Amino acid sequence: MSRRVLIIDDEEDIREVAALSLETVAGWDVLVAGSGAAGIAKARENHPDAILLDVMMPGMDGPTTFRELRSLPETADIPVILLTAKVQAADQKRFSDLGVVKVMFKPFDPLVLAQEIAATLGWQEI
Amino acid sequence: MTEDPAAKIAARLDEIWRRSRPTVLERMTVLRSACEALALNLADADARTHGREAAHKLSGTLGVFGLPQGTQLASSIEDLLLASDLLTREDLASLRNQIAELDAVIATRLDD
Repeated sequence: MSRRVLIIDDEEDIREVAALSLETVAGWDVLVAGSGAAGIAKARENHPDAILLDVMMPGMDGPTTFRELRSLPETADIPVILLTAKVQAADQKRFSDLGVVKVMFKPFDPLVLAQEIAATLGWQEI
Repeated sequence: MTEDPAAKIAARLDEIWRRSRPTVLERMTVLRSACEALALNLADADARTHGREAAHKLSGTLGVFGLPQGTQLASSIEDLLLASDLLTREDLASLRNQIAELDAVIATRLDD
C-alpha cells in the first residue's frame, strides 16, 4: 500500500535526505515543506498519512505547528512524528504532553528511517 | 536492472553533501564568531544563542553524511552552550578545542 508522508523541516538537506530515504527504501510518496506555515497548507491540501515535523524552525517552530495542525479539522487526525537533534528532559515531557506519536532523533540513518516510521505507526508493508 | 537502494542513497548523499558544504562551513563560521564574542564577554547571551543554534543544526546534519564524530562534537558544544551557568574561562577553552576538533572532522570530507 502506498503511503504519503509530509516532511516539514527548514533544512533543505535534511528534507532532501529524508525524502530520498522514504521514496527509495519504502516507495512512499513524499511531500516537503520548508516552514511550519507551508507545511500546514500542504497538510490541509493533501491530507498525508503521516507528518515528520522538525522541532527547531525559525518562525513557527515544530510544537507550534503541531498545535495548529491539531486545531484544524482537516489535519487533526494525522499522526505526527517530531524530528530533532536534541531533546532536554523538560522538552521530552512537553512533547509527550502535546500528543505527538513519537520523537525521533537526527541524525537519522537514511537506510532505516522508513522502517522506524513504519514501526512507529504500525504500518506493516515494509 | 533495479538499482540497489543503498547504492542509490549513497550516491545521492554524496551529491547532497557537496551542495550542503557551504552551509556547513557557514555554521562553523558562526560558531567561531560566537566563541570570539564569548572570549570578550562570557555573559554575551546573543553569542551563546547563535552558537548553540549553529551547533544544533550541525549536530543534526553531520551524522547523516557519515560524520558521526562531527555530530558528537557539535552536540557536546550545544550542551556546553545550553548549560544555565555562566561560562567560565575553562568552558571557553573547551569550546575552542571542540570547535577545532569539529573543523578537523569536517575537513576530512571537504575533498569528497
